[in-house]
Amino acid sequence: MTVAAAVEARGLRRQFPLDGGGTVTALDDVDLHIAPGEIVAVVGRSGAGKSTLLNLIGAIDRGYEGELTVFGQELRRLSERELARFRNRQIGFVFQSFNLLPGLTVGDNVMLPASFGADMPDVLVRRRAHHLLDEVGLGDRFNQPPLQLSGGERQRVAIARALLLEPPLLVCDEPTGSLDTATADQILQLFREIREKRGTTLVMVTHDPAVARSADRLVRLERGRIVGTTLEAP
Amino acid sequence: MKLRRLVQLTLQNLRTSRVRTLLAMVGIVVGTALLMFFLGLGQGLRERVLNRIFPVNQLELEPRSVQLFGTQQVVGQAPLDDSRIKQLAQLPGVVRAFGKRKSAFPARLWGGRELLGYNLFTEAFFDGMPVEILRGELEAFEKGDGTSAAAKRPLRCDVDLDCPVGAACQDAICQRVVWSQHWRESPVLALPCGKNDDCQSGTCADGHCQSAQAPPLVRCLLEKSAGNGRDLEFDAERGLTARACDAAGGWCKTAVPCPERMYCAADHPDTTLGYCEEPLPAVINPLLLEVFNTDMARSLGAVPVGSLAVLYGVRFHVAFGDSFFTQDAARPMQQYKQAQVVGFSRKAPELGVALPLPVVQHWNHRLRGDDPRGPYDAVLLETADNEAVPQVFTAAESLGFSLSRKSQAARTAGAVIFFTALGLVLLALVVLAVAGVQIAQTFAMLVHERRREIAVLRAIGATGSDVAVLILGEAALLGLLGGIAGVTLAWLGALGVDAAAQHWLAKVPFLPEGFFVFPTWSAPLAMAVSLVCCVLGAAVPARRASRLDPARVLAEA
Repeated sequence: MTVAAAVEARGLRRQFPLDGGGTVTALDDVDLHIAPGEIVAVVGRSGAGKSTLLNLIGAIDRGYEGELTVFGQELRRLSERELARFRNRQIGFVFQSFNLLPGLTVGDNVMLPASFGADMPDVLVRRRAHHLLDEVGLGDRFNQPPLQLSGGERQRVAIARALLLEPPLLVCDEPTGSLDTATADQILQLFREIREKRGTTLVMVTHDPAVARSADRLVRLERGRIVGTTLEAP
Repeated sequence: MKLRRLVQLTLQNLRTSRVRTLLAMVGIVVGTALLMFFLGLGQGLRERVLNRIFPVNQLELEPRSVQLFGTQQVVGQAPLDDSRIKQLAQLPGVVRAFGKRKSAFPARLWGGRELLGYNLFTEAFFDGMPVEILRGELEAFEKGDGTSAAAKRPLRCDVDLDCPVGAACQDAICQRVVWSQHWRESPVLALPCGKNDDCQSGTCADGHCQSAQAPPLVRCLLEKSAGNGRDLEFDAERGLTARACDAAGGWCKTAVPCPERMYCAADHPDTTLGYCEEPLPAVINPLLLEVFNTDMARSLGAVPVGSLAVLYGVRFHVAFGDSFFTQDAARPMQQYKQAQVVGFSRKAPELGVALPLPVVQHWNHRLRGDDPRGPYDAVLLETADNEAVPQVFTAAESLGFSLSRKSQAARTAGAVIFFTALGLVLLALVVLAVAGVQIAQTFAMLVHERRREIAVLRAIGATGSDVAVLILGEAALLGLLGGIAGVTLAWLGALGVDAAAQHWLAKVPFLPEGFFVFPTWSAPLAMAVSLVCCVLGAAVPARRASRLDPARVLAEA
């Protein structure tokens, strides 16, 4: 039985122009298959192309060559507006530095994705935001400003925000990079629960071996190429 | 993007960059305030100052003339007679047209002792006006003045001054007087004439014009002749009626004084024989009181006159044929008469007196030899509204008329106010444009500072246009708040200027209660201009923000 891919890349290549002329190749001939519900950790040294790969998968960069489909959708064929809508509905982002808007409350930050293109009624959005904050253990912080939260709590708010519209794919850039070990463990546990409950696919870029070990599979990048994949994390 | 969320995000962004946005708003607030202030000032000067001096829907025209050998000569046109007045009255936009005659004879007047304690003497200038033209205005003015409500309870009196304003002493009781009723063409008047004189509506008999319709004039005698007129007393002029008492034409006093409201007008200053007649009805321009109160009273050391109502019924003397400046008429041709203020009209000359047209025509004829039925000097056109004035003027110009000096002054003053206000409004717009540039700089900086935030918004599903709308919404809100603050500031500034003017310029003539009139459209206009300046200023930064590459910005972080 063939399982449809969450992410399918073939001969994926990404080059960036240099200021002085010429180009630099960030990704070169990358072939990658990520199954739905899989947790994949992308590891490698700085400049190996991890973030470039994540941006391509996250549909915020489509200046690639080769083929890249996310849930069967060839990203390059989408218009600017369609791509924004695709990101809104299909992808949730979790950043290393959380990137919450400081002027909004925790609840408003979680509800933010619903502001763009989603046709969900406000009542439903609010209810879901409450529910997600309950799930991440911050149900009582709905009306607080994010600056009053700890780093781990902020990241949990960011995860709740990423899950608001129930995207099938979570793209996480160093999700535990700013957290201590204990908090990082809690976040990883949360990721596993999310996958169990929702079947969400997770792609994480990390330098942290513990995070890498928590994934189903490791993708190791070196100089823009995949130099190894492991089906089970060591 | 949902509107509620847009407002929420906009407010959040403004809160986050509070100091910078407040600083950026300063220019907008100042520019909007200046715009609103100058709009209000321009409109106020037009409505409250210019229109007060020069009535808005009124145009005074004269036959076009040229300077020839030192005098103004009307050339190449039919005289300004009733047919031409009728022609002008039929022009589109004209409600009424009437001719008037200016006095061309020497005259002086004096009076004011009743009010000031001493008499003021001045050269006299008159406009002769058809009575029906002013009657409505006089009635409206008197009604609005509330003077007819005076003397509700009977008060005993000896003279008019014993009675409240708006009442006169009749049969020793203060009686309510409707002064506008005395403005009529044929009061009981004895207009002197020679055997060749044209009496218009009557014949010249016994040296005076006698009308067949009017009651016969009654002869009277005074105690003494007027001399130079300085010692004339109104109460002593009542005189006694006279009867012919010898075949040689002599007159003897009876015991009966001239009728109520009449006095004995001597045939000339050197005789005691005259006719019982009513004072000449006189209409003055309300501005005359203002000139007196602000300039003349101060220089004369007199007490300012409280209100126009006080002037109703005030009598003064007129010496026809007698002048301070020009050649006097021969003494037998002169005559001293009483006149009485019966109303106020802005159609009356500012520094003169309006009399019924036949009176001026008569004296122009008697002392200057003018044709009493001759052409008018000027024509007053009443237009439906102020907007009709230019169109009427153009049409009248093609018929050979030009603006009188008064209307020309109004036109010039109007143009000066218009262009000054326009210049100031343009200045305010320049300030707003500069503020717009400041807004552009501020937003460019804000966009740069918020690049990461914008990239995150893009990552979670915002389109480029969502981001642009967010920035522009922020600018619009800033413009709206700046506009409201600017309008409020302008309004407060106007109140301050008005208060200061009332305090410091109280003695300046024609000082209005306020210099500012804010039309209903001015506040929305000022706020709209403020909003547009902000939105235009933020347009380039918004476009730049919408094109931000989220991948690159997130990678930079």
